[in-house]
Amino acid sequence: MDNDYKKEARRQYLHYFRFWFLGIGLAAVACVALWAVKQTRGSAPRANNEAPTERVFDYGEVLTPQEEEALREQIARMEEKIQADIVLMTISQPVEGREAMEQYGLRWEDWERNMQDIADDFWDQNRFGYNKGYEGDGILLLYNWYQGQKGEVLSTSGKVERALSTYDIEEIFDAVDARHDRDPFKAYEAYVDKVGDLLEDSLQIPFGWGMVIFLPIGVAAMYAAAGASQKKADNTVAVNAYVSGGKPEFHDRTDVFLRKSVVTRRIAASTGGGGRSSANHGGGGHHHSSSGASHGGGSRRH
Amino acid sequence: MYYKCRSCGGNVVYSPEKRGMYCPFCDSRETGERTEGLTGDLAICPNCGGQVPVQIHTSAAQCPYCDSYLIFNERVEGEYTPRMIIPFQMGKEACKKSLREKFRRCLFAPTDFLSEARLDSMQGIYVPYWFYDYQTDCSFQGEGTKIKVWRSGDKEYTETSVYAIGRRMSIEFEKIPVDASEQMPDDVMELIAPFQYGQMADFDPKFMSGFWGEKYNMTWDVVENRARTMMNQDAAKLLRESYGGYSTVKTLHQDIQVRDSGAVYGLLPVWKYIYSYKGQEYPFYVNGQTGKIVGTAPFSSGKFWAYVGTLWGSLTVILALLQVMLGLL
Repeated sequence: MDNDYKKEARRQYLHYFRFWFLGIGLAAVACVALWAVKQTRGSAPRANNEAPTERVFDYGEVLTPQEEEALREQIARMEEKIQADIVLMTISQPVEGREAMEQYGLRWEDWERNMQDIADDFWDQNRFGYNKGYEGDGILLLYNWYQGQKGEVLSTSGKVERALSTYDIEEIFDAVDARHDRDPFKAYEAYVDKVGDLLEDSLQIPFGWGMVIFLPIGVAAMYAAAGASQKKADNTVAVNAYVSGGKPEFHDRTDVFLRKSVVTRRIAASTGGGGRSSANHGGGGHHHSSSGASHGGGSRRH
Repeated sequence: MYYKCRSCGGNVVYSPEKRGMYCPFCDSRETGERTEGLTGDLAICPNCGGQVPVQIHTSAAQCPYCDSYLIFNERVEGEYTPRMIIPFQMGKEACKKSLREKFRRCLFAPTDFLSEARLDSMQGIYVPYWFYDYQTDCSFQGEGTKIKVWRSGDKEYTETSVYAIGRRMSIEFEKIPVDASEQMPDDVMELIAPFQYGQMADFDPKFMSGFWGEKYNMTWDVVENRARTMMNQDAAKLLRESYGGYSTVKTLHQDIQVRDSGAVYGLLPVWKYIYSYKGQEYPFYVNGQTGKIVGTAPFSSGKFWAYVGTLWGSLTVILALLQVMLGLL
């Protein structure tokens, strides 16, 4: 008899978890298949050999050699992953006003257009781009550390220009600005990570390995609590269940108005509002550089 | 007494499914004949003469030797004559089905909890109840407010109107049931209600054949406080319902007076199933008329850890594989 119950318990268990086990099996097969495909195909090789191999141009001299090296390694890993060039450039020079125009041969008097020109021209002249040297895939962050003219611009090109919206570009600036005052290295690390996140967005589940461990614990705890909690029964006796005729007999039912009072309060005017003004699609900050190449991007001055 | 089949001599029982007397031995209906024992001794089976263990309040039981259902005359007659009875409307098989339906999603219950062998031990019992009638006069006086809020321009107005509330009503309570059995838990007997009084019949001992039963263990005055509590709670609720619609109500005076009262004795049908697991008893009670179930399923810690652990492990593995898969894309 006991053996029969054990057999039945096993049958119930397997029946209950059949879809889970099937899911695990299918996911494992898919992983193996993807791994095999990746092994045979590999990632698309870099097609552009015209650009320099250097990615970190610290003309502003805010990074130590070790930090530059760490950033180079991080960029190399990310470039392989997203198949796009990631360039970082820091400067510390005036880019605003007539004096700066004459001294550095700039085209404009205003900060924003000059910064954008410097970034775009640097990209074009060095022929960056993962797939090709003109309008190739990639992004460049230019950060100016000159006192009184601090700020950053992004120049995007190729598939990165098409993928990043104005809102995405603001997100990159936010990631950089959250750290740049305390630690420029951390700020540029965040730039590389954020670019990777945004370009890989559609291929990631919105949590990391930490959640892979903790989420199931939470779900299992809820499942356990739901299965273990029980109620003997609900009280289903209606309030009039034992009342003859189902309702009382009224002899008096009066509601006499006594008094009234009115309180007035001024409503504070609401502030804020708005929301995201830019559409959340690619092509944020589209423009053309002096060489005529198409770029995207944006700027933020501090 | 017991009911003997005129056709085959077998023990005739009341069948809830057939709504009448039925002989399970020869399949004949309404052939039961009331048969008295020769000795008048409760502890002697009038059919086989075997010794029947009889508890102090038992009014109907089954002979352990010949399986005949016996009804003890002196516990259903005289001062113990029930005025009314709701016969079982639900048979054992329907009751088993109902239990299986309710607990089939209880994953952590032991596997044999709802097995045929275990459920077969279920007993149909006629539980003694006192039914109380109360004629009441209820009154309420209070102060209620109604609040209205509106806006105009940059101002918000809140208007509070105050009313004097007066209510006077008669409520006639009929048959408030209170069990008069010491072995039945009071909270369970309250949860197992309601019973539909439309199927109440005058008492006839034939309804008890095929079931167990008890006479009242306590007289009406001993358990009346429970009926009064229920009556007061229901009357207060009905008063509250009568002045619904106010935002707030302050009670100035409330009175519930009993003008007249009475109590009668009757029997109500309850199925009882006791499941023993690891030295502990898990009782289940099923309303023998409506099928309402009271009780919580036993808990197997082995099953609990197996299921929770598997769910946790499966979810972790699936999420991990998903991460790996997306990393490979």
